[in-house]
Amino acid sequence: MMTTYIRVEFARHFRDGYNLIFALLLPAAMYILFGNIPSYTAFDLGAGNVKFYLMISMAAYGAAVSTVAIAGTVATETMQGWGRQIALTKMPPAVFVGSKMIVAATVAGISAAIVFALGAATGAKVNEPWIWGASYLIVLLGAMIFACYGIGVGMVFKSESALGLASGLMVFFAFFGNVFMPLEGGMLDAARFTPMFGYVALARYPLLKDMPSGVEMAPDPLWMPTANLVAWAIIFALFAVVATRKAKARQ
Amino acid sequence: MQTLIKTEAVSLTGLTKTFSTSRTKVQAVKGIDLQIPTGQIVAFLGPNGAGKTTTIDMILGLTQPTAGAAKILGLDPPQAVSSGRVSAVLQTGGLLRDMTVKETVTVIASMHGKSDRINAVMERTGLTRIAKRRVGKCSGGEQQRIKFALALLPDPDVLILDEPTAGMDVMARREFWSTMRSEATQGRTVIFATHYLEEAQNFAERTILMSQGKIVADGATAELRQLISGRTLSATFTSEDQGEQAATFDQSVQITERNGSRFAFQCQNSDRFAAALLGEYQAYDLEISSPSLEDAFIQLTKDAS
Repeated sequence: MMTTYIRVEFARHFRDGYNLIFALLLPAAMYILFGNIPSYTAFDLGAGNVKFYLMISMAAYGAAVSTVAIAGTVATETMQGWGRQIALTKMPPAVFVGSKMIVAATVAGISAAIVFALGAATGAKVNEPWIWGASYLIVLLGAMIFACYGIGVGMVFKSESALGLASGLMVFFAFFGNVFMPLEGGMLDAARFTPMFGYVALARYPLLKDMPSGVEMAPDPLWMPTANLVAWAIIFALFAVVATRKAKARQ
Repeated sequence: MQTLIKTEAVSLTGLTKTFSTSRTKVQAVKGIDLQIPTGQIVAFLGPNGAGKTTTIDMILGLTQPTAGAAKILGLDPPQAVSSGRVSAVLQTGGLLRDMTVKETVTVIASMHGKSDRINAVMERTGLTRIAKRRVGKCSGGEQQRIKFALALLPDPDVLILDEPTAGMDVMARREFWSTMRSEATQGRTVIFATHYLEEAQNFAERTILMSQGKIVADGATAELRQLISGRTLSATFTSEDQGEQAATFDQSVQITERNGSRFAFQCQNSDRFAAALLGEYQAYDLEISSPSLEDAFIQLTKDAS
């Protein structure tokens, strides 16, 4: 029953391309834009070059936004009565959420893969080939914490426009999470507490790991982004659970 | 004598539901006891807010009762639902606008494990023609037909419909009920909520009237119809005297309202009285109306208290 559902989900999402344009094409477009400014993008950075760094940033942003957009539909569809329709079948609600997560992870995976492919084609470089795979995996797995965020926002506001808001907020999180452009000083200190900081810093860690501390762009010690990611994963999960309970109680 | 042990299709005991918000408590269903034998077609009739939907939600296990219990075919609601022996057409929502008709039926069929019934059900509910259309582009009547098809997928013994014709025009309503009659009734127990008296009359052998969370009347639909069938006749007379004279036409005639030379009467034989009004009493602007369901409720709830 899960495979049929997943198949139809894909058909829906790709037919209504509208929803996915932001998730799939925007990060790729931004990579092409920022990743090809000749003045600095060919510079070496850590184990690779600046292009590789930007490629990870944009892929992470794209994967997270795709996850929010698709996971959020769990909430809006549940509130539209689709949840009740499913409740009248054999299929447990967990399978519904599970199917959505598989779809979300797949779209996030495609989104990140497009950016990585563009990177490979346009000169993103790294000395140790395993870093390609490691960065991609961290981008993909880390994006999953934003599924809970999408579900939570959807449950609170119960509308499809709320998902637009949720995705819009992701741009804000990305700026203040040191994703789009390197922050410095007080801004960087504050950024360490925002939801996308830990995620993107971990994804960049394999690239930057050997840089001596104190150098510009050097990574924080590993425990800092890890703590950030774990803390936000817990916060988002609690938010999703509480929002779901409240929404169901009012139904 | 032979004793038949027969499981009731639906059995409700002391079913109660209270919704509490931070400020107020609303008792939506106030203790319902009800037995519906298998094979019966039953209408839940009542105005908005009578507790029909809440009761149905509890029968289907979509809402937990605050007190009391609901059983379907002797099973707890979740068991009955997951075994596919009961299914329902829900009142609001329940469809995703950007899925096609065929996708919707396919997905729900797979969730029931009844993918083999997709084509047959679509054919019988007249959906084959619009299979590729998106749900959002279907009319209200077509959307109800989709939901009806979804409810038929598991081939249920008990079929529950919550205001299946809400928002449909007269033609679509008629068409829906004729499909319903031919497809859903063979041996099935059918329970439907409606606020159209006409639908209860045409379709249900038994009608349960609900008002303010309680059952105010329960009986054969024909009996109930008599209970609320007295008609009102209004007419204008050339003089007030004429009107007062008309009130003496027979024992059953009563003046219910008067406004100058315009009178409203209630009576038992409205046809004969109407003829007399127009002939004998020279009345004009005659209007004959059935009491609205709301009037009937006011009457019945008054009687009950």
